[in-house]
Amino acid sequence: MHDVGGDKPIYIQIADWLENAIIDGTLQADEKVYSQYQLADLFTINPATAGKGLTILLEGGIVYKKRGLGTFVSPDAQEKLRSKRKEQTLRKLVQDLLDEANLLNIGTDELTQMIEIEREQRKGD
Amino acid sequence: MTMISLRKVSKKFSRVPALTDITFTIEENVITGIVGRNGAGKTTLLKMIAGFQKTSEGELRVFDENPVGSLLVSANTIYIDDAMSYPKSMTLEELLKEFSRFYANWNEEIAMRLVDYFAIPLNTRHRFLSKGKRSTFNAIVGIAARCPLTIFDEPTVGMDLAARNDFYRALLKDYILLPRTILLSSHYIDEMKDVLEDLLVIHRKQVCYHGSVSDLQEAHLSLRGTKEQLTKGTLGKTAVSKTTRGLHEEWIMENDFSEAERTELIRQGITNAAVSLNDAYLALTEQPRGGIDDVFNA
Repeated sequence: MHDVGGDKPIYIQIADWLENAIIDGTLQADEKVYSQYQLADLFTINPATAGKGLTILLEGGIVYKKRGLGTFVSPDAQEKLRSKRKEQTLRKLVQDLLDEANLLNIGTDELTQMIEIEREQRKGD
Repeated sequence: MTMISLRKVSKKFSRVPALTDITFTIEENVITGIVGRNGAGKTTLLKMIAGFQKTSEGELRVFDENPVGSLLVSANTIYIDDAMSYPKSMTLEELLKEFSRFYANWNEEIAMRLVDYFAIPLNTRHRFLSKGKRSTFNAIVGIAARCPLTIFDEPTVGMDLAARNDFYRALLKDYILLPRTILLSSHYIDEMKDVLEDLLVIHRKQVCYHGSVSDLQEAHLSLRGTKEQLTKGTLGKTAVSKTTRGLHEEWIMENDFSEAERTELIRQGITNAAVSLNDAYLALTEQPRGGIDDVFNA
Protein backbone atom coordinates (compact mmCIF):
# COMPACT_ATOMS: atom_id res chain seq x y z
CA MET A 1 0.00 0.00 0.00
CA HIS A 2 1.19 3.49 -0.78
CA ASP A 3 1.95 5.59 2.28
CA VAL A 4 -0.66 8.30 2.49
CA GLY A 5 -1.38 8.37 6.17
CA GLY A 6 1.15 6.09 7.86
CA ASP A 7 -0.66 4.09 10.50
CA LYS A 8 -4.15 5.18 9.50
CA PRO A 9 -6.50 2.30 8.70
CA ILE A 10 -6.36 1.51 4.99
CA TYR A 11 -9.99 2.33 4.30
CA ILE A 12 -9.37 5.86 5.56
CA GLN A 13 -6.24 6.09 3.39
CA ILE A 14 -8.39 5.09 0.40
CA ALA A 15 -10.97 7.75 1.24
CA ASP A 16 -8.17 10.34 1.62
CA TRP A 17 -6.65 9.33 -1.70
CA LEU A 18 -9.96 9.75 -3.50
CA GLU A 19 -10.63 13.06 -1.74
CA ASN A 20 -7.24 14.37 -2.86
CA ALA A 21 -8.01 13.36 -6.45
CA ILE A 22 -11.30 15.28 -6.28
CA ILE A 23 -9.73 18.36 -4.67
CA ASP A 24 -6.91 18.62 -7.22
CA GLY A 25 -9.35 18.05 -10.07
CA THR A 26 -8.07 14.65 -11.23
CA LEU A 27 -11.62 13.43 -10.67
CA GLN A 28 -14.15 15.96 -11.97
CA ALA A 29 -17.79 16.51 -11.02
CA ASP A 30 -20.06 13.73 -12.35
CA GLU A 31 -17.03 11.68 -13.39
CA LYS A 32 -17.10 7.94 -12.65
CA VAL A 33 -15.09 6.87 -9.58
CA TYR A 34 -13.10 3.62 -9.36
CA SER A 35 -15.20 0.65 -8.25
CA GLN A 36 -14.29 -1.17 -5.06
CA TYR A 37 -12.79 -3.98 -7.15
CA GLN A 38 -10.68 -1.57 -9.21
CA LEU A 39 -9.43 0.06 -6.00
CA ALA A 40 -8.69 -3.38 -4.53
CA ASP A 41 -6.63 -4.31 -7.57
CA LEU A 42 -4.93 -0.91 -7.76
CA PHE A 43 -3.67 -1.00 -4.17
CA THR A 44 -3.62 -4.77 -3.47
CA ILE A 45 -6.18 -4.49 -0.72
CA ASN A 46 -9.25 -6.48 0.21
CA PRO A 47 -12.33 -5.37 -1.80
CA ALA A 48 -14.32 -5.04 1.44
CA THR A 49 -11.75 -2.54 2.72
CA ALA A 50 -11.93 -0.57 -0.53
CA GLY A 51 -15.73 -0.61 -0.26
CA LYS A 52 -15.51 0.81 3.25
CA GLY A 53 -13.42 3.71 1.91
CA LEU A 54 -16.04 4.43 -0.76
CA THR A 55 -18.79 4.29 1.86
CA ILE A 56 -17.19 7.18 3.76
CA LEU A 57 -17.44 9.34 0.63
CA LEU A 58 -21.01 8.18 -0.04
CA GLU A 59 -22.10 9.05 3.49
CA GLY A 60 -20.46 12.46 3.21
CA GLY A 61 -22.29 13.15 -0.04
CA ILE A 62 -18.95 13.43 -1.85
CA VAL A 63 -19.96 10.75 -4.35
CA TYR A 64 -23.32 9.36 -5.43
CA LYS A 65 -24.47 6.04 -6.85
CA LYS A 66 -26.29 5.42 -10.10
CA ARG A 67 -28.00 2.08 -10.04
CA GLY A 68 -26.15 -0.40 -12.24
CA LEU A 69 -23.73 2.20 -13.54
CA GLY A 70 -21.39 2.79 -10.63
CA THR A 71 -20.29 5.63 -8.37
CA PHE A 72 -19.83 9.24 -9.50
CA VAL A 73 -18.39 12.48 -8.10
CA SER A 74 -21.08 14.79 -6.67
CA PRO A 75 -21.32 18.19 -8.40
CA ASP A 76 -20.45 20.07 -5.19
CA ALA A 77 -17.82 17.57 -3.99
CA GLN A 78 -14.77 19.73 -4.61
CA GLU A 79 -16.27 22.72 -2.78
CA LYS A 80 -17.44 20.56 0.14
CA LEU A 81 -14.01 18.95 0.53
CA ARG A 82 -12.22 22.29 0.26
CA SER A 83 -14.14 23.81 3.13
CA LYS A 84 -13.87 20.60 5.18
CA ARG A 85 -10.11 20.51 4.73
CA LYS A 86 -9.82 24.20 5.55
CA GLU A 87 -11.83 23.82 8.73
CA GLN A 88 -10.13 20.64 9.89
CA THR A 89 -6.75 19.88 8.34
CA LEU A 90 -5.49 23.40 7.73
CA ARG A 91 -6.68 24.63 11.13
CA LYS A 92 -4.81 21.76 12.77
CA LEU A 93 -1.65 22.62 10.82
CA VAL A 94 -1.94 26.26 11.89
CA GLN A 95 -2.27 25.12 15.51
CA ASP A 96 0.87 22.98 15.15
CA LEU A 97 2.65 25.93 13.52
CA LEU A 98 1.75 28.19 16.43
CA ASP A 99 2.83 25.55 18.97
CA GLU A 100 6.27 25.41 17.38
CA ALA A 101 6.46 29.19 17.00
CA ASN A 102 5.56 29.69 20.66
CA LEU A 103 8.18 27.17 21.72
CA LEU A 104 10.79 29.12 19.73
CA ASN A 105 9.40 32.46 20.88
CA ILE A 106 8.66 33.63 17.33
CA GLY A 107 6.01 36.33 16.94
CA THR A 108 3.26 36.68 14.36
CA ASP A 109 5.21 39.23 12.27
CA GLU A 110 8.23 36.99 11.90
CA LEU A 111 5.96 34.03 11.14
CA THR A 112 4.12 35.92 8.41
CA GLN A 113 7.47 36.96 6.96
CA MET A 114 8.59 33.33 6.84
CA ILE A 115 5.40 32.33 5.02
CA GLU A 116 5.93 35.16 2.49
CA ILE A 117 9.52 34.09 1.82
CA GLU A 118 8.44 30.47 1.31
CA ARG A 119 5.69 31.60 -1.10
CA GLU A 120 8.16 33.68 -3.14
CA GLN A 121 10.58 30.79 -3.41
CA ARG A 122 7.83 28.46 -4.65
CA LYS A 123 6.82 30.93 -7.39
CA GLY A 124 10.36 30.71 -8.71
CA ASP A 125 10.27 26.90 -8.94
CA MET B 1 -24.04 -18.08 4.01
CA THR B 2 -22.01 -19.39 6.93
CA MET B 3 -19.00 -21.40 5.76
CA ILE B 4 -17.40 -22.40 9.06
CA SER B 5 -18.90 -22.48 12.53
CA LEU B 6 -17.37 -23.56 15.82
CA ARG B 7 -19.28 -23.80 19.08
CA LYS B 8 -17.36 -24.41 22.30
CA VAL B 9 -14.72 -26.43 20.47
CA SER B 10 -11.76 -27.76 22.44
CA LYS B 11 -8.82 -29.89 21.40
CA LYS B 12 -6.54 -31.90 23.63
CA PHE B 13 -3.49 -33.92 22.70
CA SER B 14 -3.22 -36.73 25.27
CA ARG B 15 -4.88 -34.56 27.93
CA VAL B 16 -2.77 -31.47 27.12
CA PRO B 17 -5.11 -28.74 25.93
CA ALA B 18 -4.20 -27.18 22.58
CA LEU B 19 -7.36 -25.11 22.11
CA THR B 20 -10.06 -24.31 24.67
CA ASP B 21 -13.66 -23.23 24.21
CA ILE B 22 -13.42 -21.82 20.70
CA THR B 23 -16.58 -20.22 19.32
CA PHE B 24 -16.78 -18.24 16.07
CA THR B 25 -18.32 -18.29 12.60
CA ILE B 26 -16.80 -17.37 9.26
CA GLU B 27 -19.04 -16.26 6.43
CA GLU B 28 -18.68 -17.29 2.81
CA ASN B 29 -16.17 -15.41 0.60
CA VAL B 30 -14.36 -13.63 3.42
CA ILE B 31 -10.55 -13.60 3.58
CA THR B 32 -9.61 -14.15 7.23
CA GLY B 33 -6.10 -13.94 8.67
CA ILE B 34 -5.32 -16.33 11.54
CA VAL B 35 -2.56 -15.01 13.77
CA GLY B 36 -1.08 -15.89 17.12
CA ARG B 37 2.25 -16.54 18.76
CA ASN B 38 4.22 -19.73 18.33
CA GLY B 39 2.24 -22.64 19.72
CA ALA B 40 -0.99 -20.63 20.05
CA GLY B 41 -2.93 -23.36 18.25
CA LYS B 42 -3.25 -21.92 14.73
CA THR B 43 -2.30 -25.09 12.88
CA THR B 44 -4.46 -27.30 15.09
CA LEU B 45 -7.44 -25.05 14.40
CA LEU B 46 -6.86 -25.06 10.63
CA LYS B 47 -6.38 -28.82 10.54
CA MET B 48 -9.64 -29.39 12.42
CA ILE B 49 -11.48 -27.13 9.96
CA ALA B 50 -9.96 -29.07 7.04
CA GLY B 51 -11.12 -32.32 8.67
CA PHE B 52 -7.58 -33.63 9.24
CA GLN B 53 -8.03 -33.73 13.00
CA LYS B 54 -11.00 -34.45 15.23
CA THR B 55 -12.25 -32.05 17.85
CA SER B 56 -12.11 -33.25 21.47
CA GLU B 57 -15.25 -31.36 22.49
CA GLY B 58 -17.79 -29.01 20.97
CA GLU B 59 -19.36 -28.70 17.55
CA LEU B 60 -17.52 -27.87 14.34
CA ARG B 61 -19.38 -27.46 11.05
CA VAL B 62 -17.89 -26.75 7.63
CA PHE B 63 -20.27 -26.53 4.65
CA ASP B 64 -22.78 -27.44 7.38
CA GLU B 65 -21.15 -30.85 7.88
CA ASN B 66 -18.73 -32.40 10.33
CA PRO B 67 -15.52 -32.09 8.27
CA VAL B 68 -13.97 -35.34 9.51
CA GLY B 69 -14.63 -37.96 6.86
CA SER B 70 -16.85 -35.63 4.84
CA LEU B 71 -16.60 -36.04 1.06
CA LEU B 72 -18.31 -32.70 0.54
CA VAL B 73 -15.69 -30.92 2.65
CA SER B 74 -12.68 -32.69 1.15
CA ALA B 75 -13.88 -32.12 -2.42
CA ASN B 76 -14.34 -28.41 -1.80
CA THR B 77 -11.36 -27.69 0.44
CA ILE B 78 -7.64 -27.35 -0.16
CA TYR B 79 -5.12 -27.16 2.66
CA ILE B 80 -1.69 -25.75 1.85
CA ASP B 81 1.26 -25.86 4.24
CA ASP B 82 5.00 -26.42 4.04
CA ALA B 83 4.73 -30.08 4.99
CA MET B 84 2.87 -31.04 1.82
CA SER B 85 4.29 -34.20 0.36
CA TYR B 86 3.65 -35.56 -3.09
CA PRO B 87 4.39 -38.96 -4.68
CA LYS B 88 8.17 -39.07 -4.97
CA SER B 89 8.31 -40.38 -8.52
CA MET B 90 6.15 -37.66 -10.08
CA THR B 91 7.49 -34.53 -11.76
CA LEU B 92 5.83 -31.18 -11.10
CA GLU B 93 4.27 -31.31 -14.54
CA GLU B 94 2.68 -34.67 -13.76
CA LEU B 95 1.48 -33.36 -10.40
CA LEU B 96 -0.22 -30.38 -12.02
CA LYS B 97 -1.97 -32.74 -14.45
CA GLU B 98 -3.32 -34.78 -11.51
CA PHE B 99 -4.53 -31.66 -9.71
CA SER B 100 -6.45 -30.59 -12.81
CA ARG B 101 -8.25 -33.95 -12.72
CA PHE B 102 -8.94 -33.75 -9.01
CA TYR B 103 -10.05 -30.17 -8.43
CA ALA B 104 -13.28 -29.27 -10.21
CA ASN B 105 -12.47 -25.55 -10.52
CA TRP B 106 -8.77 -26.02 -11.39
CA ASN B 107 -7.58 -23.11 -13.53
CA GLU B 108 -4.92 -24.49 -15.88
CA GLU B 109 -4.13 -21.14 -17.42
CA ILE B 110 -3.45 -19.36 -14.11
CA ALA B 111 -1.39 -22.34 -12.90
CA MET B 112 0.84 -22.36 -15.98
CA ARG B 113 1.26 -18.58 -16.01
CA LEU B 114 2.23 -18.51 -12.33
CA VAL B 115 4.66 -21.42 -12.78
CA ASP B 116 6.21 -19.54 -15.68
CA TYR B 117 6.33 -16.22 -13.80
CA PHE B 118 8.00 -17.75 -10.73
CA ALA B 119 10.43 -19.71 -12.96
CA ILE B 120 9.56 -23.12 -11.52
CA PRO B 121 11.12 -25.92 -13.58
CA LEU B 122 8.32 -28.37 -14.40
CA ASN B 123 10.49 -31.34 -15.32
CA THR B 124 11.90 -31.63 -11.81
CA ARG B 125 10.53 -33.23 -8.64
CA HIS B 126 9.10 -31.28 -5.70
CA ARG B 127 11.71 -32.43 -3.19
CA PHE B 128 14.55 -31.14 -5.39
CA LEU B 129 13.26 -27.58 -5.28
CA SER B 130 14.68 -25.00 -2.86
CA LYS B 131 12.61 -24.30 0.26
CA GLY B 132 11.29 -21.03 -1.16
CA LYS B 133 10.45 -22.57 -4.53
CA ARG B 134 8.68 -25.50 -2.81
CA SER B 135 6.47 -23.04 -0.90
CA THR B 136 5.86 -21.08 -4.08
CA PHE B 137 4.79 -24.21 -5.97
CA ASN B 138 2.41 -25.15 -3.12
CA ALA B 139 0.99 -21.64 -3.12
CA ILE B 140 0.40 -21.81 -6.87
CA VAL B 141 -1.51 -25.06 -6.36
CA GLY B 142 -3.57 -23.36 -3.66
CA ILE B 143 -4.50 -20.47 -5.93
CA ALA B 144 -5.12 -22.48 -9.12
CA ALA B 145 -7.29 -25.08 -7.32
CA ARG B 146 -9.87 -22.32 -6.74
CA CYS B 147 -11.50 -24.32 -3.95
CA PRO B 148 -14.56 -22.76 -2.27
CA LEU B 149 -12.65 -23.17 1.01
CA THR B 150 -8.94 -22.42 0.59
CA ILE B 151 -6.67 -22.76 3.64
CA PHE B 152 -3.07 -21.56 3.65
CA ASP B 153 -1.07 -22.40 6.79
CA GLU B 154 2.02 -20.17 6.71
CA PRO B 155 2.23 -20.26 2.93
CA THR B 156 5.15 -17.84 2.61
CA VAL B 157 7.69 -19.74 4.74
CA GLY B 158 11.03 -19.65 2.92
CA MET B 159 9.84 -17.26 0.20
CA ASP B 160 11.91 -14.12 -0.39
CA LEU B 161 10.25 -10.73 0.04
CA ALA B 162 9.47 -10.28 -3.67
CA ALA B 163 7.87 -13.74 -3.87
CA ARG B 164 5.80 -13.02 -0.73
CA ASN B 165 4.44 -9.80 -2.16
CA ASP B 166 3.76 -11.46 -5.51
CA PHE B 167 1.95 -14.32 -3.80
CA TYR B 168 -0.44 -12.05 -1.87
CA ARG B 169 -1.07 -9.97 -4.98
CA ALA B 170 -1.73 -13.07 -7.13
CA LEU B 171 -4.06 -14.46 -4.46
CA LEU B 172 -5.98 -11.19 -4.24
CA LYS B 173 -6.29 -10.81 -8.02
CA ASP B 174 -7.62 -14.34 -8.38
CA TYR B 175 -9.98 -13.77 -5.45
CA ILE B 176 -11.40 -10.70 -7.21
CA LEU B 177 -12.03 -12.86 -10.28
CA LEU B 178 -13.55 -15.66 -8.22
CA PRO B 179 -14.42 -14.80 -4.60
CA ARG B 180 -14.08 -17.71 -2.18
CA THR B 181 -13.54 -18.33 1.51
CA ILE B 182 -9.84 -18.04 2.33
CA LEU B 183 -8.04 -18.67 5.63
CA LEU B 184 -4.46 -17.43 5.83
CA SER B 185 -2.10 -17.91 8.74
CA SER B 186 1.21 -16.15 9.14
CA HIS B 187 3.55 -14.93 11.82
CA TYR B 188 3.92 -11.72 9.87
CA ILE B 189 0.70 -9.79 10.15
CA ASP B 190 2.17 -6.88 8.17
CA GLU B 191 2.77 -8.84 4.99
CA MET B 192 -0.81 -10.05 4.72
CA LYS B 193 -2.85 -7.35 6.46
CA ASP B 194 -3.87 -5.50 3.30
CA VAL B 195 -5.53 -8.49 1.63
CA LEU B 196 -7.50 -9.46 4.74
CA GLU B 197 -11.06 -8.51 5.53
CA ASP B 198 -11.12 -10.08 8.99
CA LEU B 199 -8.59 -11.12 11.57
CA LEU B 200 -8.82 -13.97 14.05
CA VAL B 201 -6.30 -13.71 16.87
CA ILE B 202 -5.59 -16.81 18.92
CA HIS B 203 -3.91 -16.27 22.24
CA ARG B 204 -3.46 -18.66 25.14
CA LYS B 205 -5.44 -21.35 23.29
CA GLN B 206 -8.47 -19.10 22.90
CA VAL B 207 -9.87 -16.59 20.42
CA CYS B 208 -8.97 -13.16 21.76
CA TYR B 209 -10.13 -11.15 18.74
CA HIS B 210 -12.34 -11.83 15.73
CA GLY B 211 -13.43 -8.91 13.62
CA SER B 212 -12.38 -6.51 10.92
CA VAL B 213 -8.76 -5.47 10.58
CA SER B 214 -9.57 -1.77 10.89
CA ASP B 215 -11.73 -2.24 14.00
CA LEU B 216 -8.78 -3.79 15.85
CA GLN B 217 -6.59 -0.90 14.77
CA GLU B 218 -9.16 1.71 15.79
CA ALA B 219 -9.75 0.06 19.15
CA HIS B 220 -6.34 1.35 20.23
CA LEU B 221 -4.62 4.70 20.50
CA SER B 222 -0.94 5.50 20.83
CA LEU B 223 0.03 8.31 23.24
CA ARG B 224 3.47 9.87 23.66
CA GLY B 225 4.70 12.08 26.42
CA THR B 226 6.63 12.02 29.68
CA LYS B 227 5.65 9.49 32.31
CA GLU B 228 4.14 12.25 34.48
CA GLN B 229 2.10 13.68 31.63
CA LEU B 230 0.78 10.28 30.65
CA THR B 231 -0.05 9.20 34.18
CA LYS B 232 -2.03 12.39 34.73
CA GLY B 233 -3.64 12.47 31.29
CA THR B 234 -4.84 8.87 31.21
CA LEU B 235 -6.44 8.69 34.65
CA GLY B 236 -9.21 6.10 34.62
CA LYS B 237 -8.23 4.71 31.21
CA THR B 238 -6.71 1.36 30.41
CA ALA B 239 -3.15 1.09 29.10
CA VAL B 240 -2.48 -2.05 27.07
CA SER B 241 1.28 -1.60 26.87
CA LYS B 242 3.92 0.90 27.96
CA THR B 243 7.25 1.39 26.24
CA THR B 244 10.08 3.79 27.04
CA ARG B 245 11.44 5.56 23.99
CA GLY B 246 14.35 7.72 24.99
CA LEU B 247 13.09 10.70 27.03
CA HIS B 248 9.47 9.88 26.30
CA GLU B 249 7.16 6.98 26.82
CA GLU B 250 4.70 5.50 24.39
CA TRP B 251 1.56 4.05 25.87
CA ILE B 252 -0.90 2.06 23.80
CA MET B 253 -4.35 2.65 25.24
CA GLU B 254 -7.77 1.15 24.76
CA ASN B 255 -9.37 3.76 22.55
CA ASP B 256 -12.42 5.01 24.42
CA PHE B 257 -11.29 8.62 24.17
CA SER B 258 -13.80 11.18 22.95
CA GLU B 259 -12.83 13.95 20.54
CA ALA B 260 -12.84 16.41 23.46
CA GLU B 261 -10.60 14.15 25.54
CA ARG B 262 -8.14 13.86 22.68
CA THR B 263 -7.99 17.63 22.30
CA GLU B 264 -7.38 17.91 26.04
CA LEU B 265 -4.48 15.44 25.75
CA ILE B 266 -2.87 17.57 23.04
CA ARG B 267 -3.33 20.66 25.22
CA GLN B 268 -1.42 18.83 27.99
CA GLY B 269 1.44 18.17 25.55
CA ILE B 270 0.61 14.53 24.89
CA THR B 271 0.68 13.53 21.24
CA ASN B 272 -1.79 10.92 20.11
CA ALA B 273 -1.72 8.88 16.95
CA ALA B 274 -3.32 5.90 15.28
CA VAL B 275 -1.78 2.55 16.10
CA SER B 276 -0.42 0.29 13.36
CA LEU B 277 -2.21 -3.04 13.07
CA ASN B 278 0.96 -4.83 14.10
CA ASP B 279 1.29 -2.76 17.29
CA ALA B 280 -2.38 -3.35 18.13
CA TYR B 281 -1.83 -7.07 17.63
CA LEU B 282 1.34 -7.13 19.75
CA ALA B 283 -0.41 -5.23 22.52
CA LEU B 284 -3.34 -7.64 22.42
CA THR B 285 -1.13 -10.71 22.66
CA GLU B 286 1.04 -9.22 25.39
CA GLN B 287 4.19 -8.94 23.34
CA PRO B 288 5.54 -5.64 24.65
CA ARG B 289 8.24 -4.32 22.38
CA GLY B 290 11.42 -4.32 24.35
CA GLY B 291 10.05 -6.95 26.74
CA ILE B 292 13.10 -9.07 25.94
CA ASP B 293 15.19 -6.42 27.74
CA ASP B 294 13.81 -7.65 31.04
CA VAL B 295 15.54 -10.99 30.48
CA PHE B 296 18.88 -9.21 30.57
CA ASN B 297 17.98 -6.80 33.37
CA ALA B 298 17.26 -9.54 35.90
